[in-house]
Amino acid sequence: MQKTRTHKARATGFYSAFILAMAGLILVSAVYSVSIGQVQIPFRQAMNILLHALSGGHLGSIEQIDNGSYLNIVMQVRMPRVIFALLIGLGLSLCGTVMQAVVQNPLADPYILGISSGASLGATFAILVGFGSGTIFSQFGVASAAFVGAMVTSLGVLFLSSIGGKATSVKLVLSGVVVGAMCGSFSSLIIYFANDAEGIKTVTFWSMGSLGSSSWQKVPIMAIVVLLGCLIFLFQHRVLNAMLLGDESAITLGINLSVYRKLYMVATALVTGTMVAYAGMIGFVGLIIPHIARGMFGADHKRLMPATLLLGALFLIWADILSRTLVHNVELPIGIITSVIGSPLFIYMIVKKGYNFGG
Amino acid sequence: MELTAAGMEVRIGRKTIVHGASVRVKDKQFVGLIGPNGCGKSTLLKSIYKSLVPTSGSVMLDDLNILKSSEKKVSQKMGVVGQFNEMHFDLTVEQMVMLGRTPHKKMLEADRPKDREIVEDALRITNLTEYKERSYLSLSGGEKQRVVLARTIAQQPEFMILDEPTNHLDIRYQIEILSCVKNLGIGVLAALHDLEMAAHYCDYLYAVKNGVVYAHGTPEDVLTPENIEDIYEVKCTTYRNPITGSLGFAYSL
Repeated sequence: MQKTRTHKARATGFYSAFILAMAGLILVSAVYSVSIGQVQIPFRQAMNILLHALSGGHLGSIEQIDNGSYLNIVMQVRMPRVIFALLIGLGLSLCGTVMQAVVQNPLADPYILGISSGASLGATFAILVGFGSGTIFSQFGVASAAFVGAMVTSLGVLFLSSIGGKATSVKLVLSGVVVGAMCGSFSSLIIYFANDAEGIKTVTFWSMGSLGSSSWQKVPIMAIVVLLGCLIFLFQHRVLNAMLLGDESAITLGINLSVYRKLYMVATALVTGTMVAYAGMIGFVGLIIPHIARGMFGADHKRLMPATLLLGALFLIWADILSRTLVHNVELPIGIITSVIGSPLFIYMIVKKGYNFGG
Repeated sequence: MELTAAGMEVRIGRKTIVHGASVRVKDKQFVGLIGPNGCGKSTLLKSIYKSLVPTSGSVMLDDLNILKSSEKKVSQKMGVVGQFNEMHFDLTVEQMVMLGRTPHKKMLEADRPKDREIVEDALRITNLTEYKERSYLSLSGGEKQRVVLARTIAQQPEFMILDEPTNHLDIRYQIEILSCVKNLGIGVLAALHDLEMAAHYCDYLYAVKNGVVYAHGTPEDVLTPENIEDIYEVKCTTYRNPITGSLGFAYSL
């Protein structure tokens, strides 16, 4: 008895320490991230610039900055990008965790409902075909088209899986696969008939994910959508936990899953759609980060959710740092980095003895 | 707590599985539901605990109209131990049992010391205190079923439904589970497949065949050789077990 109690106290202590450490690491990594790139800015100066900007000039001195352009580079170019990385890290790990619970399947990721292929189709269409000038759609950029594609497919999947009764998790996954395949083939068709090498390259680049288009103008929408999503789901742990038990048991605990499943899917589709629209597809983050967090703290969403979110944010900030620094003067698509780091990590998780999806 | 399910008719797809069955569980009674596989026992139970929507019929738990009340409201009064409890993700035994508190919690409400006490009690009643930190998926079938029972006890229901709770379990686990439920002293409606267990634990029995209640009454009244032959299509001789004094059954084809 005594033993289990101390064991538990130690586990709680470790958890709190982990959360604090993660938050600290994210801050330090963010400062490091704004200091590196084609123009190297000393860490101390980067920190001063940030402090100065954040405190409205009360803290941090910008007198000793070597070069006046540093301020501009940090605040206008790199800062929005780091914030984007942070938000997308939060968003992807959030949606991954939620989707894994919603479809009761450890293989789920934010894109499982065909969102990625829908967004790709939208983006491919916008890039290679375009919307005829004069129509209201001509105002649409690639981002809007991708967002619309993502939303249409996810709602389509939701609708398809609800035909003839309850939307069970198996029906959801299968509908996602079917709709995904359909969108994928349409995208291929457009690419096949397109006589536009530059456009095809853009499509390819888009589908690999990039934070290159981040800017302050885009931060507010992204921040509102992602942070609101995080805030909501941080308090949904009771429902998310009940979801793990399946429909039957959840109902006997007073939770009607078919209702929550739909609500959660619409919410995650909104968050994922927004992220995909601005940054393309960044694979593996939403799949592995929840598993890593689960391996550390178990599947109870009350503890899992904060840990996953912070881990996801940190992971994406570093993936972005690597994508900018691995190859000199070239920016690699961040989706490649996350997959290259992610897949071995995931294999390790599976092979590692004792990982039982949260035990 | 008295449960009355009247005129239940349940359809799955185009097939009617339950044709106008009625069951009643009086205050603190342990009532058994027996019948061959596919006779509609589970379907009837599912329609009572809101997992399936019956095409007609009514379910009342005292003055609570189950079919018209929210899942949350029903789950505060009625606990269910089902047949299948597999999942893809893992939780510790304690977390699993803590889920039993869900019906009594508001969305943003934290677990209180009182909830922890209730969970401790449920673990103690089911002999699982030692298993608290164990992972659910690593347990054997019998242990898992005990965890699910503990979760249902932590729900503090005033009425319990069991759907073949001892399926696939060895004899010791069967006795453990049923005794534990019997000792709770609340109304119970349980689908059972073992007639000796049914005779031993139940105060009243409903025998279901082809979706209708074929016979009901005390175990002695229902479990006659003629009834068993009609319901299960086996020849059967009943006797008094000389050691336990309860009903025994000898089957042949």
